[in-house]
Amino acid sequence: INEMSDKQSGQKSAKIAAGAVVCVESEIKGDVTIGARTVVHPKARIIAEAGPIIIGEGNLIEEQAVIINSYPENITPDSEGVEPKPMTIGVNNVFEVGCMSQALKIGDNNVIESKANLGRNVILTSGCIIGACCQVNTCEVIPENTVIYGSGCQRRVQTERPQPQTLQLDFLMKILPNYHHLKKTVKTTSGATPAKI
Amino acid sequence: MSQRWVELRRREMASLLQPERVLYLVHGEKKIRSPLSQLYFCRYCSELRSLECVSHEVDSHYCPSCLENMPSAEAKLKKNRCANCFDCPCCMHTLSTRATNIPAPLPDDPTKTAMKKAYYLACGFCRWTSRDGALWGKAINKLIEYYQQLAQREKLERDRKKLARRRPFMPLAFSQHTIHVVEKYGLGTRLQRTRPGAPITSLAGLSLKEGEDQKEINIEPAQALDEVEPLPEDCYTRPINLPEGTTLRQRLLQPDFQPAGASQLHPKHKHLLIKRSLRCRKCEHNLSKPEFNPTSIKFKIQLVAVSYIPEVRIMSIPNLRFQKESQVLLTLTNPVENITHVTLVACEEGDPEDINSTAKVMVPIKELVLAGKDAAAEYDELAEPQDFQDDPDVVAFRKSNKIGFFIKVVPQREGLGDVTVSFKIRHDFRNLAAPIRPSEEGDASTEAIWLTHHVELNLGPLAP
Repeated sequence: INEMSDKQSGQKSAKIAAGAVVCVESEIKGDVTIGARTVVHPKARIIAEAGPIIIGEGNLIEEQAVIINSYPENITPDSEGVEPKPMTIGVNNVFEVGCMSQALKIGDNNVIESKANLGRNVILTSGCIIGACCQVNTCEVIPENTVIYGSGCQRRVQTERPQPQTLQLDFLMKILPNYHHLKKTVKTTSGATPAKI
Repeated sequence: MSQRWVELRRREMASLLQPERVLYLVHGEKKIRSPLSQLYFCRYCSELRSLECVSHEVDSHYCPSCLENMPSAEAKLKKNRCANCFDCPCCMHTLSTRATNIPAPLPDDPTKTAMKKAYYLACGFCRWTSRDGALWGKAINKLIEYYQQLAQREKLERDRKKLARRRPFMPLAFSQHTIHVVEKYGLGTRLQRTRPGAPITSLAGLSLKEGEDQKEINIEPAQALDEVEPLPEDCYTRPINLPEGTTLRQRLLQPDFQPAGASQLHPKHKHLLIKRSLRCRKCEHNLSKPEFNPTSIKFKIQLVAVSYIPEVRIMSIPNLRFQKESQVLLTLTNPVENITHVTLVACEEGDPEDINSTAKVMVPIKELVLAGKDAAAEYDELAEPQDFQDDPDVVAFRKSNKIGFFIKVVPQREGLGDVTVSFKIRHDFRNLAAPIRPSEEGDASTEAIWLTHHVELNLGPLAP
């Protein structure tokens, strides 16, 4: 019974920091923390099944993007000894339309382009760009400023960091509330005062 | 579960429509077997032509990204590259121009900094920017200048020889004209095809202005060295940093510098594409002539085979078993507007064209009649269906200008490998290109001639 109530309380809590714009049509399940200045478009899905998801500030999560902390394939949800691993996402990342990310650790200033697919064992550092339709299922740490592009094979190019999408974020934070209802923000535990919606 | 079955079935059906399954034989210098969609039909010779039995001529040059037309002389001058568009050296995509604001000191007052717009090139696919690349070097320009001079000298010598040989009564303008025509069309005519050892004519057009003295450029011949720099000691032990180096393809796209490091890549001007026209080698008529405008995909002359020859397509294949007769359903489509009569004839024993077939085929004996292609038929609901008495054993269905018919196939070879059958298709063709002769009896002005084509079908492997 204790487990049941824990699960229920875990599903209810989605801590959305003040200043984040999260549309009501997005699906947020489980223990998810969303930082300030993050924009979550409608039809985005953030699902924390096997552990909490902590999303930093200034991220842009577009439509039909899926960020899911799921159980690894060979482990059933009910088996014991499975510790919930938290998934951390840094600041200023962009998850473009239709991408799917299961990576447990994502740093800052990354861009995951449309229909890209990140496996659970990938760790993105900073400034990486995962090109459209690229599937990264390897078990590795992707070095900084890497660009993965191209069909099929993985090709990498080192370049300079992608710029944070500040203009886009500002624009969206002004426009989205005009057309969508937003999910309620919660006072963060750090004690920052919430902005009025 | 059923969705997966539907998907598999769809893929199976789609693969039957692949054109490589049905090949037509072309009688040319070489016997070429090719799907009908890739063939042309010369209606003056009344024969099929493939890309190898026609002569290709360059019509016009254009840039694929800015769609700018360029006359051939200008294209030759710019080495067939567009002046405005660039290619990414990393992924060969088209580069786009972006602007940033950088603080730059004002020219009059070095202490104050103002925001200036700086432009750079960026690739949308691999995110390469021109700020990553290095500046451009001038390594090979000297060699190019030397060859230009050489070509120019050779051209002058040739002209001098021609003028010296000409008869006194031949006008000067005539020889000048032929030279210009030759230069304009380059290697189009057979006489001008490069023979090894012939002087380089392609660079001859890039001449210096008249009146300028030709500077003698001496280049040092490459010297062979006895000693070569030894490899660095850590050549075998140093871990390779893959992103730092360039791939072979990236390197060879810039043959003058061949940069080994990715930081030395710089953008290249975009290569121009050409529009070509095709000409039958026997009768010198044009088979395909595109429009001049790069944005237009239409043709001025388009004598493709699919609009003259009935096309055979495979519709469904049952399980084929060794030495067991099976029925294969084929479709025959009539591309012309008049009724076409088609007869199928199986290949005889020892037919020199029948080299690939691995099965015996029994084709319908009767003549098949195909209705004409009526473009307005789908809109005209009151159209009466034409009454052809179809033998249901032979003709499976009939739909406007298409019929489905059965052939019987007996695979003769066991084991791996595809079952291929071949037969000859004989149809009547009304030649609209022939001049209309006024006939005395007022009959139909075009006479039908009978054409025969050898068709090969690939029916796939035997059923396991």
